[in-house]
Amino acid sequence: MGTLLLQSKHRTDNATSVLGDLRHSGCLKALFPRGPADRLSAVLVNTSGGITGGDDLRVEARIGAGSRLSLTTQAAERIYRASGTAPGRVSTRVTVEAGGRLDWLPQETILFDDARLDRRLRVDLADDAQCLLVETLVFGRTAMGEHVGKLDLSDRISVWRDGQPLFIDRTRLGGDASALLRRRALGQGAVAVASVLLATQAGSSAAPAFLERLRPQLPAQAGASLIRPGLLFLRMTARDSFELRRSLIPVLALLNDGPLPRTWMI
Amino acid sequence: MVTITVMNMVTTIIITRMSIEMIPTPHLVTLMQWLSPAYPVGGFSYSHGLEWAVGAGDVTDAAGFQEWLADILEYGTGRNDAILLAAAYRAPDAAALRDVDAVARALAPSAERLLETTAQGAAFVRTTADIWAIDLPALCYPVAVGRAAALIGVGLEQVLPLYLHGFASNLTGAAMRLVPLGQTEGQRVLAAMTPLCDLLAQEALAGDGLDDLGGCAILADIAAMKHETQYTRLFRS
Repeated sequence: MGTLLLQSKHRTDNATSVLGDLRHSGCLKALFPRGPADRLSAVLVNTSGGITGGDDLRVEARIGAGSRLSLTTQAAERIYRASGTAPGRVSTRVTVEAGGRLDWLPQETILFDDARLDRRLRVDLADDAQCLLVETLVFGRTAMGEHVGKLDLSDRISVWRDGQPLFIDRTRLGGDASALLRRRALGQGAVAVASVLLATQAGSSAAPAFLERLRPQLPAQAGASLIRPGLLFLRMTARDSFELRRSLIPVLALLNDGPLPRTWMI
Repeated sequence: MVTITVMNMVTTIIITRMSIEMIPTPHLVTLMQWLSPAYPVGGFSYSHGLEWAVGAGDVTDAAGFQEWLADILEYGTGRNDAILLAAAYRAPDAAALRDVDAVARALAPSAERLLETTAQGAAFVRTTADIWAIDLPALCYPVAVGRAAALIGVGLEQVLPLYLHGFASNLTGAAMRLVPLGQTEGQRVLAAMTPLCDLLAQEALAGDGLDDLGGCAILADIAAMKHETQYTRLFRS
């Protein structure tokens, strides 16, 4: 069990983003390493060392008007075998006020055989707020060549603007995940999958410019699209998590317009 | 009290039997008209990423196409469209219908997939509202079909398998041109999809609505994204 409430705010005297409020309980904590001056950098730590069936982790963040918050995790999140039928629940809800920006850059999530996970990420954007999101799923401990023969995964991402859904992605994978991911239109043997979303203002020229720069550098099993003005989405698959990370880091470095959190570079 | 209940039951039974006798034939035919390749929604111009998959060598023959199609039906747009259609059919009012449509739009993972559902929906709405004199706002394709079916009073259990079959039939038509497949080969693949279409229809009928949405046809999504930059293209998606 763990909850964490976090708030960033804009400091007008030196135009930086600073911590407004922080409350936490249970196994969730936050560290604040020094990062780029234009954003508040936070590292989420799950001190329980992983997630199993019945766990319930909640993160709520409010990004105050004009401030920018970069969130990452200290390590890859391990989703262990669940002993009962209850899934581990992870809920992250971020509200971004006018002119604010969220960079959601967690490390990968590693799903062990027999894992059950119900994860939800919801971002509510004010009119001219922005967000960059990444979620990476790794199916099994790939160094061991683990077969994930039993999985119950529901992973939901939704971004809302002014109370309307702007983007919804729902990954739903149940049963023999390794076998399913060998299928032709699913993974063709992929064991690691990443989804990246950049939501900017509709009138901004940044998203189309990023798309042009990203396309030539994408590996064969990755694609990107400007779904609608200001909304850039990318999916990537790989045969191991190292390969995925290698392809993903330059993409995120570009979209993050600043150095990636140090946990990504180790 | 008991007598009244029994009488009500008898009345209900009679009404139900009358409905069964009166409704199906003309409405089923209307449904077949809406979901036939001749209906002007432009279905023939969308491949749902198949054109790229064929170009990249991911689909090279009938067996490969059959697996690709089954994946898209079961783990991708087929199942999700059935859920959206059912939710639109059951939407109690205009606001609920707008919410279903907003979800349908937000689910599109690429620009061409968004075009596929919005442009077909817009074309369906134009023709259908005009001919059947029903009030249909601009909606995504499965949402428009669900709403129109509810308005003319055809059963959801009838529209769902026909919609899924129409979706599969459209992609089979694309595969016949792209792979290419022979007429018999294509029809054999399509026939093999019937049990899956029925199963997905049953699930959408019995399911929990929009909460059930989801999938993992990741490479189909990537194919649709990559199609945007494919050098020679016959299809709009």
